[in-house]
Amino acid sequence: MNRSRNRWFSTRGLLYGGAVLLVLQAAFPFFWMISTSFKPPSEVFAQPPSFIPEDPTWDNFHRLFTATGFLTYFWNSVIVSGLSVLLTMIVSAAGAYSLTRYRYIGREKIAGLILCTYMFAPIMVVIPFFILVKKIGIENTHFALVLAFTSFCLPFTLWLMRAFFATIPMELEEAALVDGAGRVRALLYVVLPLALPGIIATSIFTFILAWNDYIFTRILITSDELKTLPVGVQDLFHSSLIDWGLIMAAGMMITIPALLFFLSVQRYLIRGWGAGGVKG
Amino acid sequence: MVGPKSREQLVGLLTIAPALFLILALTLYPVAYSIWLSLLEKHSFFPQERFIGLENFFYLWKDEEFWTSLWLGTVYSIWTILFQIILGVAAALILNESFVGRGLVRAITLFPYMVPTIVAVILWKWLLNDTYGVVNYWMLALGIVRDPISWLGTDHIMLSVIVMSIWQFFPFVLLTILARLQTIPPELYEAAKVDGASAVRRFIHVTLPQIRGILFVVILLRSIWMFTKFDTVWLMGEGAGAGRFIRTLPVYAYMRTLTYYQAGLGAALAVIMFAILIVCTAIYFRMFREEADIG
Repeated sequence: MNRSRNRWFSTRGLLYGGAVLLVLQAAFPFFWMISTSFKPPSEVFAQPPSFIPEDPTWDNFHRLFTATGFLTYFWNSVIVSGLSVLLTMIVSAAGAYSLTRYRYIGREKIAGLILCTYMFAPIMVVIPFFILVKKIGIENTHFALVLAFTSFCLPFTLWLMRAFFATIPMELEEAALVDGAGRVRALLYVVLPLALPGIIATSIFTFILAWNDYIFTRILITSDELKTLPVGVQDLFHSSLIDWGLIMAAGMMITIPALLFFLSVQRYLIRGWGAGGVKG
Repeated sequence: MVGPKSREQLVGLLTIAPALFLILALTLYPVAYSIWLSLLEKHSFFPQERFIGLENFFYLWKDEEFWTSLWLGTVYSIWTILFQIILGVAAALILNESFVGRGLVRAITLFPYMVPTIVAVILWKWLLNDTYGVVNYWMLALGIVRDPISWLGTDHIMLSVIVMSIWQFFPFVLLTILARLQTIPPELYEAAKVDGASAVRRFIHVTLPQIRGILFVVILLRSIWMFTKFDTVWLMGEGAGAGRFIRTLPVYAYMRTLTYYQAGLGAALAVIMFAILIVCTAIYFRMFREEADIG
């Protein structure tokens, strides 16, 4: 009796110990970023460092918004990520619908081919992509970025959406068709609402990829006023004395939107992940 | 005359067409083009080009920097993959148990994977700063070291980028394994418990066989992604002065193209990277044929 109680305590103890470690390793760097972003320059470099800012100030944020191109980069990131999500969702929903609802020659081959392209890493695609974009004459445009993100996300999003569409029984649609609804209406009112978790998982994936991207933007965008956040913020480093307070404030402002987006739809993500994101 | 059958084919093909077009034109064509490019001598920005056959590959064969980058890339990949898998599986096992605040712990643990790489990099560069960084402060305060360690200097930059990459990417393993763990029927564990199996034995005999298939896929994906990882390594090395000591294959390919403007050589490096991946993937599938089937 006593022995089993002790064992219960030790496994529980290990469990909670592990959970605490997990939280600390993930959260501490972010806590440190937030703390630094509210410190005046003198306190940023103070030794020993203060964990809670003793003299909290908005100064870093004020400088970030007024003295750097941050707001422009932010706006660019919103536009590019938003358009990429929109385009990816339309194209992959149509494609997934096709792959699960219609029969045609080569359907499985197409599905296999799409899956294969999932293996290509950005570094292998981006250089020829850049030369291609130059040939078409759309270099240094947001349009090129949106195309890059969309084509890069597509293999994964199509795969994910296909898994979701495949779980929706055909009978539901057929019932709607019998009731006199057209194919488009059946799609809009029956299939899409049921596939919502999949659509959401797709949109998070695309948004985060577009919002976080560094390499495509670095190579495809040359003018300062078109840069998105990651590239814009990296360029803040290019001064002789690194202004850590300012950079941490910028880091916080990039993280917040991605985090809000992620947290609001997180449960769908884990579900989507289980439903076919990686299995298959 | 269009019959219902061929009409259905037509609509089916039309709805997949946009996706197919984008993938063909913007992913497959560039990859094919880079194979062609690897046979050319070409400036990255100007249109002149000259066909030189396998000259680029011969050059790389004798290029010491290429071999160094291959070695550094392999070291980086092996250590990061190994620890991501170990930590990811361990964390997934913890977060699959029920305890107070589990939902919150899960969400927080996934943070590092969700934030932009640039944020992860500036966070770590600040934590590891040799004069003002909190890591050095603690190590000095606790008496672990006598002098501040130059984490981003020549001797430690590889270690730093490995630790930082594990931190950033193990949540992917965690998330995927956790999704699979949730589908294991609890009866399996109860049966094992009734039989008196210890936690370790339950892991080996119940959990491991169940997650084997997904583990196979996760290791494959992570290996591909770590071997071709560019932004994390490049951004950590940039401006650090010791960037040369973490110049992995992807970084070297980027530099050949955009620092030296040798697009042909850059493409040749990308082709080599791709060839290595294909060979390793084929070997991997052979070695773990059983897992590949259930995965």
